[in-house]
Order: sequence, then C-alpha cells, then structure tokens
Amino acid sequence: MWGFLGRRLALAALTIVAMSIVIFVLLRIAPGNIVDLLFQSAGLVDISEKQRLAHELLLDRPVAVQYLTWATAFVHGDLGKSFRYGLPAWQIIRPRIPITVELAILALAVSVAVGLPTGVVSATHQNTWLDYGLRIFSLAGLSMPAFWLGMVIIILLVRTFGWIPSMLYIAPWVDLRAHLLQFLFPALSAGYRSAALINRITRSSMLEVLREDYVRTGRAKGLAGRSVVYRHALKNALLPVVTVIGTEFAFLIGGLIVTETVFNLPGVARYLVEAILWRDYPVVQNLVMFIAIVVVLTNLTVDVLYARLDPRVRYA
Amino acid sequence: MTNRSPVGVWLGGMALLTLTAASAWGASPTPKSGGVLNAMHREDPPSLSIHEEATVSVNWGVMPCYSNLVLFNPLRGQESPATIIGELAEKWAWRDDGKTLVFTLRKGVRWHDGQPFSSKDVKYTFDVVRGAPGAPALRLNPRKVWYAQIQAIDTPDPDTVVFRLKRPQPALLMLLASGYSPVYPAHIPAAELRTRCVGTGPFKLKEYRPGELIEFVRNPDYFIKGRPYLDGIRFIIIKERGTRIAALQAGRLDVTMPQEGTRNAAEQLKKAIPSMVVTEVSQSINDNLLMNFKRPPFTDPRVRRALSLAIDRRAYVQAVRQGGAVVGASMLPRPWGVWGLVPDDLAGLPGSGDPAKQKAEARQLLSEAGFGPGHAMRLVVSTRAIAQYIDMATFVVDQLKQIGVEATLEQVESAVWFAKLTRGEYELGANLTGVSVDDPDSNFYENYVCGSPRNYSQYCNPDVDRMIDEQSQMVDQVKRRRFVAEIQKKLELDGARPILGWSNDYYAMWPYVKNLVPHQSVYNYGRFQEVWLDR
Amino acid sequence: MKTSVVRFLRRQPLGSAGGVVMALVMLAAFAATAVSTDDPTRTNAAQTFQPPGRRHWLGTDHLGRDIYSRLVHGARVSLAVGLTTSALGGLLGGAVGIASGYERGVATAVIQPILDIMQGFPLLVLALVLTAALGPSLLTVIVAIAVPFVPRVARVVRATTLAIRESTYVEAAQALGASGLRVAVRHIVPNTLAPLIVLTTAQLGSAILVEAALSFLGLGVPEPYPSWGRMLSVSAAEFAQRAPWVVIFPGVAISVVVFASNLLGDSLRDFLDPRLRI
Repeated sequence: MWGFLGRRLALAALTIVAMSIVIFVLLRIAPGNIVDLLFQSAGLVDISEKQRLAHELLLDRPVAVQYLTWATAFVHGDLGKSFRYGLPAWQIIRPRIPITVELAILALAVSVAVGLPTGVVSATHQNTWLDYGLRIFSLAGLSMPAFWLGMVIIILLVRTFGWIPSMLYIAPWVDLRAHLLQFLFPALSAGYRSAALINRITRSSMLEVLREDYVRTGRAKGLAGRSVVYRHALKNALLPVVTVIGTEFAFLIGGLIVTETVFNLPGVARYLVEAILWRDYPVVQNLVMFIAIVVVLTNLTVDVLYARLDPRVRYA
Repeated sequence: MTNRSPVGVWLGGMALLTLTAASAWGASPTPKSGGVLNAMHREDPPSLSIHEEATVSVNWGVMPCYSNLVLFNPLRGQESPATIIGELAEKWAWRDDGKTLVFTLRKGVRWHDGQPFSSKDVKYTFDVVRGAPGAPALRLNPRKVWYAQIQAIDTPDPDTVVFRLKRPQPALLMLLASGYSPVYPAHIPAAELRTRCVGTGPFKLKEYRPGELIEFVRNPDYFIKGRPYLDGIRFIIIKERGTRIAALQAGRLDVTMPQEGTRNAAEQLKKAIPSMVVTEVSQSINDNLLMNFKRPPFTDPRVRRALSLAIDRRAYVQAVRQGGAVVGASMLPRPWGVWGLVPDDLAGLPGSGDPAKQKAEARQLLSEAGFGPGHAMRLVVSTRAIAQYIDMATFVVDQLKQIGVEATLEQVESAVWFAKLTRGEYELGANLTGVSVDDPDSNFYENYVCGSPRNYSQYCNPDVDRMIDEQSQMVDQVKRRRFVAEIQKKLELDGARPILGWSNDYYAMWPYVKNLVPHQSVYNYGRFQEVWLDR
Repeated sequence: MKTSVVRFLRRQPLGSAGGVVMALVMLAAFAATAVSTDDPTRTNAAQTFQPPGRRHWLGTDHLGRDIYSRLVHGARVSLAVGLTTSALGGLLGGAVGIASGYERGVATAVIQPILDIMQGFPLLVLALVLTAALGPSLLTVIVAIAVPFVPRVARVVRATTLAIRESTYVEAAQALGASGLRVAVRHIVPNTLAPLIVLTTAQLGSAILVEAALSFLGLGVPEPYPSWGRMLSVSAAEFAQRAPWVVIFPGVAISVVVFASNLLGDSLRDFLDPRLRI
C-alpha cells in the first residue's frame, strides 16, 4: 500500500511539473504579450520603453531561463507580480480562491444531493414513468451547455421576480443569508450537469448490483427489502460514483469558469480566462499550478479510495 | 429598408425630448444629498492613469477622482466651446492673437492627500504630457500630439498659468476640456497613479478591487461647496454582457456605461421597465476600414476606391447597428457634431450613392486594376474578437464578396490585434476609432498625419498634412468649417480610412438618477459632480 | 451485422431514435449546400430579425442571415469537431490502450504518466491556453478537445485489454504460437470495440458542448464558419427578448443532438454489454 502511495505521489509531482512546463511554453508561443497589450492599447510605440519593460519582466530571455527563474521562485514561495496590475500575484489570487472552492463544493454537494437519491429511486423503480421522467431530466442536464443554463436562470429570475443575485461578492460573515442566496443559483447551475452524471452512474450500478446473486440471497434469507438495498447495493454502487467525482472534477473546473462569468462571481476560474487574455504570465502560471495540484490530488484521493473500497482491484 | 419599429420612433422622439429637457436643468426639482450610485462597468481599466490610456473604460471609472483646468458642462449634452466651464480654472483668456492662453486658478484647493494645489501642478502635468525636455516621461502617452504646439508653460504666481504656443491653436481649449485632460499632482510620481488615485476631484478613491469594483466616496473638501450630492459611487465590473443588462433591469445597477447602450438592450429595458430613461446620443466613435497603404494592392488608388465603393453605408447602419448609427465622414456628423459634412457633400462620397451602381463601378475599377473573374482579389479582413467588431467585419466581408473579392475573416484577440496594427501586419482591418472631442485637431493629428503612431493605415499625404496644420490655426470658425469639409472629402476620396458610420449610444438609467446627462462623446461626462438620487 | 442492427432497432427504441437523429444531422451536414435555402454568410440589411416564416423558415438574425441555413452549415462544424475528436480519440486512445494493456512493463512506466498528465488538464483551461497560443481555429478546438479524450479512451481500453489478456483464449492462442500482433487483432480488438463505440458516440455530444462553451468565451471556431455554439452564445444575452428565435433554434439544435448522442451511447452500451461501467 505504501509503495503504491509513494509511486502515485511521485507520479503526481511529475504530472504537476509537466503541466507547468506545457502551459509555460504554450503561453510564450502565443503571439502578443503584456508589453504589446499595454502599449498598443494606447496606440503609441516607443521602442525603448517597450524594450525596457520587456527586460524588466524578463520577457527577452530564452524560455528555459524564464522557466527556471519562475520555478525556483515558486518553490521558495515567491509567486511574482502580476504583469497587468503590478501587484503581487498572490495578493490578487488569494481572495478569489475561497470563492471558487466554495462554489465547487456547493456544486458537488448539489450534484450528490440531487443525483444520488434520484439515481436510487430510478433504479428501484426501473422502467416506470418516474424512472423515465428522471432519466429525461438527467439527460437534459448533460445536453445543455452550462453557460446557457446560467443565462436562462438569470433571464428567468429577472423576468419573473425583477431580481437577480448580488453582482458584488458578499462574504458569509457580512450577511449569511445574502451570501447563500448569491451562491445558490450558480451552484445549481454548475451542479446540474454533475448531478445528471451521478444520477446515471448511480442508477446503472444500482441496477447491476440489484441483479447480483448476493442480493438475491439476502432477500431469500428474508432480510427486509429496504435494508438489502441500502446496505449491500448502495455500498457497492458508491464505487463508480467516487470515480466519477474524481474524473468530473477536472471537467467541473470548466463549468466553474463559465458559471463564474455568467453570475459575476470573482473566483479564480473566471480570473484565469482574463489573465490568459492579458498574457499575465505570472498569474496564469500560478493559477494553473494551483488547479493542477488540486486536480492531481483529487485524482490521487480517488484512486486511493477506489483501492480501499474495492478489494478486487489489484494495482500490479 | 426595414420598417422602423414603433418603439424605435418613440425612442427617437423621447431622446430628443429628454436631451432638451435634461439640458434645461433649471427646471428640475431641488437636489437631495446622499446615496450611493451603482454604475455599470464592463471591464477593468488597463490602469488608473487617465493620461496613459485611450479607452472609455478608464474615463468612466476614474474621472470622479480628478479635476481638469476646464471641462464640458456636465448638464449640457451637446458639447461645444460655448459649454466649457471652469473646474480648477476660474477664468481664462486668449492673448497675443491666440498664441497665449492664460488661466487664473482657483484658490484654496487641496489634493486628496491634503497637499495644496497650485500652478506648479498644472505646469508639471502638461510638461509631462507634452514631453517637454527635462520633464519625466509617461510610460504610455497616446495624446502627446495634442500638446505639440505648446512652446512653454509659465507659472508667474501660484494662481496663474500661462500656456505659450508656437502658433495659434484655438482647439487647445477644447482639448483641455476633454475627460482625457485631468491635472496630475506634481508631488506624486506618475507611475504610482497607475494603481492609486490622488486628485482634486469630487470623489476620493476608496477601494479598487481588480475585476470587481472601483469604489469612490464623497470628497468633503471639494472646492465647489455643496457638491457632490452623492455619498459615493460604485463602479461594478461585470464582464458578461447579458448579465450586465439583467443587472440594470433588476436594479442592481442604476446606470449603464457609455458605449454599452445598444439599441436592442435599450428597447428591451424600456419594454420591461417603461419608466426607464433612455437617451439617444452619439458615442463619438466611428466604424472604419483600415487599408494597409504599404501593401499591394492597396498602393493602387483604384483598388482603394473600389473597396470603399463596395460597402453600402446605409445598409451598414441598418444591418450592423440596427439603425443606431449615422453615416458620415471623418468628423462626427450632424446633428451630433458641428463639423459633419452636409448631405450634398456626403452624397458624392463612396458608399453613399446607389448601392448597385457603386458596386458596378467598384467591379469596373477592380478589373482596370487587373482583378477580374478569372483572377479574383484575395483579402484577409482582420478584426478584434469583440461582438461589435465582428459584426462589422462580417458585413464587410459579405459586401466585398458581392464585387468578386474573395475575402476571409480573421478574428484576433486584443493582444494580437494591437501588435498587428502597429507592425502593419494586416491587409484590411475592421476598426473602431473614438474621437474624444468634437474638434478636427483631436481627430486629424492622431489618426491622419504622416507618421502618427495611431495612423495605423500609414496613410501619408503631405498636402493633407499642410491643410491640417492650416485649419488648426484658423480663428475664424466659419472659414475653418469650410476648410475642414474639404479635408474630409479628400480623406474619403483618398481612402485614408473609409468611415462606415458613427454609432449611437442608447444610454439607459433608472428615473431616480438625476442630472446625469449623456454627452455626444462617451469620454467626457464621467465626473458625476452634479448627479443626485431622488429617493 | 445486419441482424445485429435490426435487433438493436427493435430492442432499443430510444437509442434508435437517437441514432436516427444523428444520421439526419450527418446527412444535413454532408449535403449542407443542397439542403439549405440561402448562403449562410450572406448578410441582408433589409431582412434583419425576421420571425420564422415562409421565406426564412427559422427567421433571420441581427445581420439578416438565414438561421435555417446557418443551422445546417453549423452542423458541419459541430460534426467536424465531434467526429474528428471521436475518431482521434478512438484510434489513438484505442491503440495506446491496447498497447499499454498488452505490453505491460515499459508501456506502463512511460505511457501511463503521459496519459495522466493529458487527462489532468481541465478541458477548458487547456483549450484557453491553446487558443491563445495558436489562435482560434477549427484545428485548435479539435486538438483542445481531443487531448483529454484520448487518455479516457486509453484507460477504458487498457482495462478491457488487461481483463482479456488473462483469459483462456489468449493463453491458448499463445500456446499455439500465435504472434502478439495476431493475438491483438483477433482477440483483443473485437472485445474492445464495445466500449470504444459507446465512448465515441457519447463524445460527439460532449465535443459539441465544449465547442459551445469555448464560443461563449470567445475562443471557439471563428467566423465565417457558422457554429451552433457561437450562434447561441453571442446572441443569447442581446437578442433573447427581442428575437427569441435567434437563440431558441441553435439551443434546441445543440440540446437535441447532444441528447440524441447520449441516448444512442446509452442504448449501445445496454445492447452490447450492460456490464460496461463507463
């Protein structure tokens, strides 16, 4: 077990490093950099000023040198300054992280709270109208673009109630009720898709397990129907759900980007897009590292959980 | 021609009525103090330093902090030399046949950090901006050319500033009244003003949260007693267009942002909230084509003329701007601008005549230049990846196809766009150009003289340069107007930067917002010193 | 093969419906020019915001372009993205999966980490950076969507390969002296077809959704290709209340096609091997 863990950790570290290199290089291949943006948006070309700024930001060094400079600084905890704002990158990113994390957790909570029970119900009432209805509902969730759903929610809110959630972030300790209300709709919007997935996976693995011999045996033994379902079937059905949460996480981040944009939440996901458009390299690097670490750790956790939950899996 | 919707006609009528009514502010009720205004903003300003930027995103969002020497009267929607009022300057006068401009400054004004204001701040600001020898340089200086005629700035005493010019430039006063011409503090390095704001304006910067909010709070020591009425202003940054409109509709925002008021959004808002006040004004931003003069085939004047002929200006107004634009040449057309060409002059220019005939003429010119059915011209039309630009470029591509040009569209991000323009790495560009002040000096020097950094098409005609210098010195405005009309015609015929049209803004705000009068230029009314909330 | 299809149609009505929809869409895409009524890029100032009617079946947009024709041509883009990424993922992922499942040692050590890295990239993030680097284009979108898809296919195929490898067929074949390649082709590939088919049909829908999201952020397939994603995202906010048809039809198109592809994928899985956990 520990050898396995050690190997996975090493792999995780390697993955993070590789991702950082890929993003670093891609960013610098991208035509146009911050110097172009800053100068040309005002339409003046003063060559010496441009060169001075480029030199200051290390943009005129070879890519490898830039990478190593950045990497050493990063490892020491120095996250550099935002090219765009001139402020320390960490100062800009830090307040945004809790917002995205909270939205992600709420979205996941929504998806589990909605997906799991509906999946169970669907499985235990297979081929009834209830089942069909729920299947359509979940398929719809997988068929709708996330931003579309968000926009529809906002338009419906404004047309029906003349109200939309606050456009400025309200911290929970300032006004808990308003804060929750602000996060409710984005969480629903971002969680719908994952809810649909969890619903489907739960349903299909429940169905499978319900057919299994040992459930029939359990029933034959006279155990109450419900306890059979919940104790044996559900536990085994949880396995793929855990896997889905893991793989979905990476996808969820995409959903967060779009949801934060539509609902105007100042999180890191949305900020990443802006930083890329502004070629704000230090900020993009840090955000990508952050995302990479989270994703890799989540995958790792999922793999470990998988190994513990299902003794039939062998990691040769 | 599409049938004008009843709402549209109604809007137009209301607009004129509102603009007139708003201008006669003496008739409105007594202003109340208090309240915080939630204003719409679409993006972060590139920096907080007005002198270093050239986008409405910085004026709208930072103007409340600063004061100018002079400014256009916020309560008069139609800007002109007659609507210029003093801010830091109490009186001013031209001397020496228009070669000297003397300002008498207000006394007892303080900067937001408590330091006293004096003439040395004015001298510092405009020495820096004009690039005077020995003065510290700005990192970016888009309007340096505005002040090129200033020989020297004298400060005989703390309350007097004298601008001495190399030759008369009556336009200088208009340029100083623009939202782009605040006075900076001499005791703070310009670089710091990119991230903080120290001005003498009616509001102090309370907080700037990048990507979220620019918040201002009332300046209790403002040099005009009794102003501002508002306790504060919050510019709430919302990137997503649909969400912005919904926010305004839901009351999360009180006013729109200039340049963001599309006709559709306005009609939509009006239907949902009949009491919403919508004002139709010009943005003072034109849609134009950039033809790269340094690249064949644009070196051939026949080709340039053909391409300009091909684009039906009226169809453009209808399709691309849904009727919310006006056809014109390089100066803002009437009724919004006083230098606009009269209809007779306009009719003679490419793109304004009978579309079928003009397209036929275009095809003829192209074949004379060597392009025809077997040997079609291939073109790449480049544009920014923003909805307004893309729509215009799509229309242009389609019109060019109709004269047999194989045009393809290339959309690029802003970072790449600016690089392309200044390096001349494009063929045809679909572009938007803002003109801050309705004066030829503001427009021509930036965009049309040889070698100007923002003359992206690299058009260079020494005759036109001479004409531009000549009009700049004319004191007789009637004579000047006629001369400028000749320049505009010449520019269009040369294909310097074919103008497709000037977009309108449909500025929407809730009825309880008083004394916010949209101007016919989006760049100059963001001070909020007279605005009050009636609730 | 034919009997299988007939059996499928009978046993899986929902999936068949999905299949029919997909076939129709593909037909429309291939015969786009024949099926559409207008040039999808022709603007018409006089005909902006026309509601659906005789002349323009689904109405016109803000530039006067015929929406029906744009939908039909947009199918091309959506299918191009979906089919190419499916094919790429299927072929590459399949090959890699089989190889790494069959040949354990080296492949696992080298390929597995690479796959993990590719899969670790949140889809949209990679697409963003790629688009910034390479400029928005059809190719960039395809690459961006394919990169996380390949490892997903590879993983499933690898798992199946691992399972089959231990089976008696293979042992018997190897005992009889069959070469590795022969074993792979005759025994492993047919058994991995089932998961491959399911994954690739579902991927079509997925790819369309991602393209829509990219268009929303301004990074999707650029003009002049009509793209459902862009038709939806650009128009949604601005014109929803004034001319809902501009927004409804692309939205319906996306939803229906993705729905259909999911239905088809589900049914194929139920039909081919209900025990597949994907």
